[in-house]
Amino acid sequence: MATTARSGGNASGSSAQRPNGTQQNKNCQFKLVLLGESAVGKSSLVLRFVKGQFHEYQESTIGAAFLTQTLCIEDTVVKFEIWDTAGQERYHSLAPMYYRGAQAAIVVYDIQNQDSFQRAKTWVKELHKQASPNIVIALAGNKADLSNIRVVEYEEAKQYAEENGLLFMETSAKTGMNVNDIFLAIAKKLPKNDGANNQGAPAGRRLNDNENNRQTNNCCK
Amino acid sequence: MHQSKSKPESRLAAITFFAKTHPGDVCGSNGLPLTPNSIAILGRAQKLKELKHPHLCQYLDFVRGKHERTIVVSEYFGTTLQDKSRSVLIEPLVVRIFYQIVCALKALTEHNLVVHNLEPKHVLLDDCDNVKLFNYGLYHMTRCGDYVPFPIGNVRYMSPERFLGSKNNIKSDIWSLGMIVAELLLQTKFWPNLKISNIARKILSFCQTNNVFERIAREHNCLERYEQINGELRILIENCLSVTPAKRPLPTDLFTHEVFSKDIEAYAYTEPPKPTILLYRCPLEQIYYWWQLAGGDVQGELKKEGLIRSEAPILAIPQLVCLNGKIVGPKRSQSYLMDDRVVPLKLNNLYEKLCNQPAMAYFPLIHSPKFPHNFGAGMEQLPLVIRERDIEYQFYRVRLFSRLLKGYPYTSEMIRKEAAKDIPPYLRGPIWSCLLDVIPIGSYGKIDKFTPTSTDRQIEVDIPRCHQYDELLSSPEGHCKLKRLLKAWVTAHPQYVYWQGLDSLTAPFLYLNFNNEELAFLSLYKFIPKYLQWFFLKDNSAIIKEYLSKFSQLTAFHEPLLAKHLASINFIPELFAIPWFLTMFSHVFPLHKIMHLWDKLMLGDSSYPLYIGIAILKQLKNTLLASGFNECILLFSDLPDIVMESCVFESQKMYECTPKSVSHRFHVLRETPLTEFDLTPDVTLSHLQAEMCPRISANDFTSLLHYAPTDMCALDLRSAVEFSHVRVPHSINVPFVAAQLAEPRLDALGVSQLVEMLQGRIVICMSNKHEHEFSKFLVECGVQRVCVLHKGFNILHTIEPNILISN
Repeated sequence: MATTARSGGNASGSSAQRPNGTQQNKNCQFKLVLLGESAVGKSSLVLRFVKGQFHEYQESTIGAAFLTQTLCIEDTVVKFEIWDTAGQERYHSLAPMYYRGAQAAIVVYDIQNQDSFQRAKTWVKELHKQASPNIVIALAGNKADLSNIRVVEYEEAKQYAEENGLLFMETSAKTGMNVNDIFLAIAKKLPKNDGANNQGAPAGRRLNDNENNRQTNNCCK
Repeated sequence: MHQSKSKPESRLAAITFFAKTHPGDVCGSNGLPLTPNSIAILGRAQKLKELKHPHLCQYLDFVRGKHERTIVVSEYFGTTLQDKSRSVLIEPLVVRIFYQIVCALKALTEHNLVVHNLEPKHVLLDDCDNVKLFNYGLYHMTRCGDYVPFPIGNVRYMSPERFLGSKNNIKSDIWSLGMIVAELLLQTKFWPNLKISNIARKILSFCQTNNVFERIAREHNCLERYEQINGELRILIENCLSVTPAKRPLPTDLFTHEVFSKDIEAYAYTEPPKPTILLYRCPLEQIYYWWQLAGGDVQGELKKEGLIRSEAPILAIPQLVCLNGKIVGPKRSQSYLMDDRVVPLKLNNLYEKLCNQPAMAYFPLIHSPKFPHNFGAGMEQLPLVIRERDIEYQFYRVRLFSRLLKGYPYTSEMIRKEAAKDIPPYLRGPIWSCLLDVIPIGSYGKIDKFTPTSTDRQIEVDIPRCHQYDELLSSPEGHCKLKRLLKAWVTAHPQYVYWQGLDSLTAPFLYLNFNNEELAFLSLYKFIPKYLQWFFLKDNSAIIKEYLSKFSQLTAFHEPLLAKHLASINFIPELFAIPWFLTMFSHVFPLHKIMHLWDKLMLGDSSYPLYIGIAILKQLKNTLLASGFNECILLFSDLPDIVMESCVFESQKMYECTPKSVSHRFHVLRETPLTEFDLTPDVTLSHLQAEMCPRISANDFTSLLHYAPTDMCALDLRSAVEFSHVRVPHSINVPFVAAQLAEPRLDALGVSQLVEMLQGRIVICMSNKHEHEFSKFLVECGVQRVCVLHKGFNILHTIEPNILISN
């Protein structure tokens, strides 16, 4: 789908409220996308992070859902614009619309499910190939509360993450374990000092900019 | 036709019990909480509602109460055999009862059911001495008693192998039957003073006996009576009481036995006289439904009888909770113990409400010249929720539709007409299937639903997330059924694949036809091509893109300012509307809202859902107009409460006032081929995406001109010279001047009273060029219902008979 998941609204949006001149607080907005096999807990992670809730029977995501959450790191206010995508392989063709121009991605797998880990690796490859070159990728081994019936070993995933330069944590949306931490770790790793992510210069976030360059090679992927 | 005023006797009763509670905070292997047993019972029990047999009490409803309480409502009347046998029954009557219980058991075996709690208390007799079994489904619904904390069956009538753990053998019921009949023939109650444990010991001791019947007779000093019993009958009972189950006859063996067949007239079911009360001639499930509408409340009745007692929760607080979940504290209250009393549900209230209804309302003569009777007329103006809860209105509707459904497919047209008023919730499942032109032919049974496929994993992870707030859909039975339906649909459509969302789309049909999987399947089978043709192709992007582009165009058509705003913030339907349309809103609304939405959808064509989408936007219009991209998309990620009634009303209104070609999509199931005066296939996706306003066909244009000239306003963009040569009657000439369009202000066009002339009409821009540019300008000025004549002005020259005026 040759469309954009994110428009320019941000340039004149909330970050503009910052009074000019007083530089004590920096405001950053980052677009973050969640990818991974279906039923690994992507929506649950977001729900836990954004609303502190957990639904046992979280509905499946069709297309994608959008949520935002703000974090404070030292003197910086970081606002995440989170695109939570559908997991089913068939919705794959929609994914570029969401990860294009994203500064961060969380690739989620289920520690009880080997296939979902393989799928996560495929996502990582695709992101390396197609997403912005500076994208910060985190790998989340979700459902860590069920670690007594795990299939994917912590060490294995950890090693894979290190080899590929990914942040890595095992998380549990159900208990809340590591959920905030993984978002925080991403926020820390994202560049905040240059003007790129600050008010007025949302180049990194504008999908349309990137899109024009990329349109040709990812219409089928 | 006045009914006799005899007092109505009760025909319904409720029993209640508790399901086993799961200990503490236990999760299943998938990490999800265990399904409460009461929900599992509810799912399994549904099938019992379908059993309709003269010798079986009909099951009507299963209700969950607090703390795993389960309430069962079923048919109940007459006398129990337990009461009846207090006086001596003559042998022919005993044989009759014997035979009729056999008939009941035979019917149950045909449905792969066993009773396992057969005892005189569960055998009811009516005035004609017809037998009906009661409470025969307890064992099935509790999955062999697994879901309840108490044992099922009366020890006195239990076969020896049941004590040893054998289950699910109809022969165990034959033993119980043998015991019941033996008691009746020997005219004594066996072991009246023994404790349960001693009775059990007694029965197990029979394992050493060759002739159980004789031994019992001896023990009860009835040998004389035993010997007087007709030899053939005695042997039959002895066979039923064989210690080895294999030696006992099957219900089918008994059914054709000489003992009965020699005087079958005397033993077979006697048709009772037709009830004088018309209400009782209606199906019992309808009576129960109305009983509820008339204020009937099962839980209330059970409370009145003391079967449900509420206690202050504080009294149940444990004194100590161990880390392993063990609880030390007050003993479980007596009110949680099994109490097998049967509570009749009184019909007086319902009877009083309906006794003055004329026979014509009970049995509408749909083909008589007197039809339609205006039953319930005037109520159509009341809000739907009120109509749905009004006992009289629902009585008329249910009776009318029951009749109409019987005549389907010949009554299709009448069903459609009546459904347009409203659809009674009680019959929604079958009515929808009629609206979808479903005709069951038994094809569902032939579809493979079991062979593993590559889609199974996806289906399995989606089902436990699909409308799980609903008791039926969250029950294990519901999960199995949904899985079968989805697998069947995928198997039946090799050209399509399973897209997430198909589960949500199937859920309403399963919910409504829980006991009729075939009807659920066929409804889905017909629904998809009607509204979602080609959506489930492996590559559906062309279809979805066309759909969403049309959605944008129609939004501009009906809500120009909103469309303009959304376009300006780049808030495109791709980001929020895919789940809306792919699932026909079944993924975004709870079931009860989907019901009312689809009631109307079913009556519309494939374009109807687009108007529902616009109606939702319209309802949120003010918020959307005041919001930027982020706020808008957040709003839709967590769709706020949409008022269904106004959503349905608005979509209906837009649907009715939009010319068909304006909503034209290429990817629909088409019954008649397109002509050159329709929208031709040369309108491609890129046209759709580039043009803000929809096109109208020459056909629709002409019919508007002929039949509703006041509903339209044709704007002719050609030059004044061309216009003066030839033009459409009543059209307005607005020669196209690009410069006028610089700012979105209508008065820049220099046409006096243009706003008034366009108000409330379909505005058709005609030209041979520039019409798209111009129509976009109108939308930006906030003009509603702007469209563009397809193929430009020139197409009008070829229309016959001529519609143009030339000088």
